[in-house]
Amino acid sequence: MSPAPAALLLAALAAAALLADRIVSVAAIALVLLLVCLRAPAGRRRLYLVGALFSGLAVFVLTPFVSSIGWHVIWSGPTVPVLGQLDVTREELRIGLFQGLRLTAVALAFAAYALLLDHDRLVQSVGFARRSVLAMALATRLVPTLERDAAGLVEALRGRGVEVSGARGRARLLAPLLAGSLERALNLAEAMESRGYGRPGATRMPRPGWGLLDRAALVVGAVAVAIGVLWL
Amino acid sequence: MALATVRQLAFTYPGEHEALRGVSLELEPGEVVALLGPSGGGKSTLLRALAGLVPHFHGGRFSGSVEVAGLDTRRVHPAELAGTVATLFQDPEDQVVFTRVSNEVAFGLENLGTPPPEILPRAARALAAVGADHLAERPVAELSGGELQRVCLASVLALEPRLLLLDEPTSQLDPEGAATAIELARESGAAVVVSEQRPERVLEACDRVLFVADGRIQEGDPPDAWLPREAVLPAAEPSGPAVCRLEDVSFAYHATPVVQRASLRVGRGEIVALVGPNGSGKTTLAKLATGLLEPQSGSVAREGRACYLSQDPGRYLVKERADEEVALAVGGDLVRAGAALAEVGLAGFEDRHPRDLSSGERERLALAAVLVAEPDLLVLDEPTRGVDPPRKDELAALLRDQSPGRATLVVTNDLVFASEVADRVVSTAPERERALA
Repeated sequence: MSPAPAALLLAALAAAALLADRIVSVAAIALVLLLVCLRAPAGRRRLYLVGALFSGLAVFVLTPFVSSIGWHVIWSGPTVPVLGQLDVTREELRIGLFQGLRLTAVALAFAAYALLLDHDRLVQSVGFARRSVLAMALATRLVPTLERDAAGLVEALRGRGVEVSGARGRARLLAPLLAGSLERALNLAEAMESRGYGRPGATRMPRPGWGLLDRAALVVGAVAVAIGVLWL
Repeated sequence: MALATVRQLAFTYPGEHEALRGVSLELEPGEVVALLGPSGGGKSTLLRALAGLVPHFHGGRFSGSVEVAGLDTRRVHPAELAGTVATLFQDPEDQVVFTRVSNEVAFGLENLGTPPPEILPRAARALAAVGADHLAERPVAELSGGELQRVCLASVLALEPRLLLLDEPTSQLDPEGAATAIELARESGAAVVVSEQRPERVLEACDRVLFVADGRIQEGDPPDAWLPREAVLPAAEPSGPAVCRLEDVSFAYHATPVVQRASLRVGRGEIVALVGPNGSGKTTLAKLATGLLEPQSGSVAREGRACYLSQDPGRYLVKERADEEVALAVGGDLVRAGAALAEVGLAGFEDRHPRDLSSGERERLALAAVLVAEPDLLVLDEPTRGVDPPRKDELAALLRDQSPGRATLVVTNDLVFASEVADRVVSTAPERERALA
């Protein structure tokens, strides 16, 4: 499948997850997206899957403590300043699960976009807003680039006999990673300008045509959104 | 008529000292000019001025004038100069825009408004010219440093510029790749200005040499340290008790075998240079020797502590003070860190932020960060990348001074450095090294 219809299909699934009203519908969409993400190589998908599942879990766990909805109390806790009475109701759990699944589904759709799509061909095939699409493709590359830089940092430290372990050890890498990515961004911007980026009159490589599968993906995407609005 | 004219150029980066002062020169169409000189002496800034990136991209104080093909670089933006001028930057990893090789090479052609049917054939021709046509559909993230440098060279050659600016274009290339790159630049018909730290690669191919130091073009011949040297690879027998022994090791990344049934021994007191073509598994072998990778078959035996200095180590610094960075490997011992900094010529830099240092200083800081641990096995991966000849001599002297106490493995494409520092040379392609010798 070409990257443009694939990106539209993923966007449609994410939209359907946001539009759907039932937990089971959102869970089904998240499951489909999870299966899609599992097609990516194990080493690359780990970070994305952990991020998507952890953020969904965080929403599920935190929602009951920051909202006061429902009357079927499951657990009553102390009163905390600002937050008020810490209690957990069945309704809060239901909303937490629903919003957590929604977030997971959207994050998994992004993960599938980042892991499985050929961003070069996506930039090539989109006939409008080339600058925005290129910026999006570069931003998407930030995650694997940061991942590679982090691996390089860990390896450089291990090369000195310094082991990086635990959340605290990894957190210490954040500042150098950020500084490194800023340096890299500046160098890249300079290289792009020297190769004529932003000059008027740019052309494009011939775009590959859309096949039957690409058109089918577009229809499935539209149907998914419609079903999300009407029935899910 | 000159293709480019620089008149009394002076430039200061924002908040820094003067990088160029009173530089004047003319470049004729088709001539090849080699820029030699110490790191931080102004070579890269001069190249950026010729591309219009100084002052447009960097800001700073600019006086004098630079004209390229009749265009005043103060009035014309770098993107508009693109095509007339093409620049290959020092670090190939920081200039890649796309994820696939063919798209990367096509990017500049698209920006210049090349008719669409011509874009892919021109990109393919440029890749074929640098011997990288087989990489066209590969993701750039999977390329070795040398392969990536070839792709970046193809990206600028595809533009068919009138002025080609090459900032250390061969720093990661093996000797054949480096010779090919310089020859291709010469054959392109463009005027070429090439900044190099390995003079033997460019002096034969260039029409004249400019020595840039302290922001000025120095008159007369370059100092002796910059004259080409002959690489006479030492062929001693292995010596000293083995600190590291690899027997029949194999390693593959995903399904791609990189090292197959390789053996290597490094003894205490000897310096071994590991040479070989780009992509032949030198770095992987070095990581296997240090324990950063585990072999998928075969065995590795090591004694004592092993330290590994990666390629481009200046990128991988984590602390906010130079002495703390070095002290990481010795449990925060700042006294030992200070001594190690002094050993690499960075005394007085203890409280400086590593990212405020020049690239050459960062590399030395990273070297101090491994030397401080006094390892039994020291592995250095391309330690002369971007290092000027006098600094290479200093590095070779330092490694030789300390070699009796440890086993040292140096991975390098710099055969001159290998011949000067090593007791013996091991190649991942022995036939090739015999031919080169």
